[in-house]
Amino acid sequence: MALNFGYNISKPRVIDIDRNNLRKSVEIIRELPELQACIGCGTCTASCTAGNLTSFNFRKVHTLVRRGEYQGAYEELNKCMLCGKCRLLCPRGINTRGVIMLIKRKLGDF
Amino acid sequence: MSFYAPFTLPFIIGTTILFLVLIWKYLSWFFDLPRSDKRLIFKGIPTFATLRSLWEVVRECLLHVRIFKVDKRLGYMHASLAFGWFLLIAMGSLETIAYLGFKMVPLQGHVFFKYFAVANGITEHKAGWDFVMDFLLAVVLSGLLMAWFKRLHSRSVGMRRTTRHVLGDRVALSFLWFIFPLRLVAESITVELYGGGSFLTASFGNLLDLIFGHTLLSYAYEPAWWCYSIALCGFFVAMPFSRYMHIFTEVPLIFLRNYGLRATSRKKSYDNFEVQACSRCGVCIDPCQLQSVLNIDSVQSVYFVRDRRYNMLTQQVAQNCLMCGRCADKCPVGVNLLTLRQNSRDAMRNIPAERRYDYFKGLDRSEGAGRVGYFAGCMTLLTPRTMTAMEQIFEAVNEQVWWADRNGGVCCGRPLKLSGETDSARKMMRYNTELFRKHNIRTLVTSCPICLKVFKEDYDLEGIEVLHHSEYIERLLRNGRLTLEKGVTNYTYHDPCELGRGGGIYEAPRTVIEAVGALVEAEHNRRDSLCCGSSLANTVINDASQLRLASALTEELERTGADSIVTACPLCKKALSRTAKERVYDLAEIVAEHITK
Repeated sequence: MALNFGYNISKPRVIDIDRNNLRKSVEIIRELPELQACIGCGTCTASCTAGNLTSFNFRKVHTLVRRGEYQGAYEELNKCMLCGKCRLLCPRGINTRGVIMLIKRKLGDF
Repeated sequence: MSFYAPFTLPFIIGTTILFLVLIWKYLSWFFDLPRSDKRLIFKGIPTFATLRSLWEVVRECLLHVRIFKVDKRLGYMHASLAFGWFLLIAMGSLETIAYLGFKMVPLQGHVFFKYFAVANGITEHKAGWDFVMDFLLAVVLSGLLMAWFKRLHSRSVGMRRTTRHVLGDRVALSFLWFIFPLRLVAESITVELYGGGSFLTASFGNLLDLIFGHTLLSYAYEPAWWCYSIALCGFFVAMPFSRYMHIFTEVPLIFLRNYGLRATSRKKSYDNFEVQACSRCGVCIDPCQLQSVLNIDSVQSVYFVRDRRYNMLTQQVAQNCLMCGRCADKCPVGVNLLTLRQNSRDAMRNIPAERRYDYFKGLDRSEGAGRVGYFAGCMTLLTPRTMTAMEQIFEAVNEQVWWADRNGGVCCGRPLKLSGETDSARKMMRYNTELFRKHNIRTLVTSCPICLKVFKEDYDLEGIEVLHHSEYIERLLRNGRLTLEKGVTNYTYHDPCELGRGGGIYEAPRTVIEAVGALVEAEHNRRDSLCCGSSLANTVINDASQLRLASALTEELERTGADSIVTACPLCKKALSRTAKERVYDLAEIVAEHITK
């Protein structure tokens, strides 16, 4: 029986890297190792043309993909217009457009 | 009179195979053309386009004017081989007529006339014809020598680098290189044994006689002709499958191009004519900055077209290109290299997603109202100084402006199109077109050449005039609506690829700069200008490489000694700012600074 205490506990959101299938993630990092240089500053997301119009968040998507959370990543990346602003602003000089195209190519069937 | 000898058999077989393959290829390409293309051809045949094409065939397929424009030595090398060989064939036919009068002589009778003249007992020698044929052979051999030397030292014909060929091409090339020396040997032996000849064959025959003796030469007589015939056969069989396919394919290509056929963002049968008309001469290698600055030498247009022709194109090669257009500008065949690369990318990447960009629906963040619309484009939103300057200019001339995307908007679609996702790019194009129509603008001004190019080429904007801001400002100056105070600053101008080679706009920005100061031209300018390296077309090279390309360019611009660098593209501005010592200006900024109150 459920007691209503006026609050509840959120479902735990834990990324369990040991249980995730990292094969695609490893392939992606191998092809574009510079993605590991990401410091997660979020400049890409702040400047994003699509992010300005929707909730698209490139930093979140590529971080999740690297952790093996591929669900929905392809659909999310399809919001990107590939305009290239993020690439110009990235303080680590990551080839973000290359990353987007690579992830889409790798995860096209997810 | 008999014109048959066993040694002609390889030649006859080779020629037959060559023409059968050619006819098969051309017919199948033609039948695969879309109906609209076929209609263009049939409509074009009875027009002046046919005559124009004939003239162009003479200029380009025989005289090769465009190669001479690249480099005179290279032009001579090619023309002596190609035009020289053509003249050998043409004059050879006239020679047979001179000796035998007008009568049917089979092909091998013309080609091996020296042999058949002897075999048919013609003893008379026409010294004039002997001289002409010897002279032409000497011209061809001189071209051959240059071609040999070019393989060792390509700079001798004005090329820093020449193409690395695949095995098939090397085989064809070897046969080609053997044809003329073997012809010289065969003819010289004939002349030495049976008389005739002129300065080349007679003297070379004498020399052979001195070295080998008369008996040996008479033994070598038939084998020499056999070797010549076999070399011809080898070349003809290899021709339609190697780079030498360009010899014949340029002819239909010129006709089709003049009838208005063009490569499009989708692959189609017409592309075959363009791809196989590429001679892999390698003229496109030297202008490529990926080669000259970054030493990447496997992705240039010549290798791209080759890989595409033999179905071995990889993502790496197709995607690694700045699409600056420097190669296409130099191509002596005029192959539409950029469109071919773009439609290859389309074939490799285009995955139509029905629900993609559904979020565009009902989106409208534009503000203001007016007959003039201003589309900043994503890149201008990153360089807000350009936009502020444009605002000042609009204010100074009291223009009522509709701001399409000042508060964020949808990309023009060109970056997506360049990366091959053509269908998705169309969705953006459709959205923006509807937006422009909805706000009823008459003029569309953009400060981004990337947007400008796609507006002009892919959008259906009938009734709306599309202007780059340089053209718009130049028009304001011409109409006297805007007056500028001329300063004393020296500016150097960088031609953005998409604006210059891509859009043909060279003079408007220069006129504007000269209205506010003095202009100093950089070493590479106008059609020959360099790329800033940040091109949206390339998704392969990394940041460090982009930086090296940019610094090579800024070094050149700073060498002019100008006070400031000006460009007319927000992306170029961003790229140059990273390596330039001084602030890099957009054209609009220097104009806004000099408006007379």
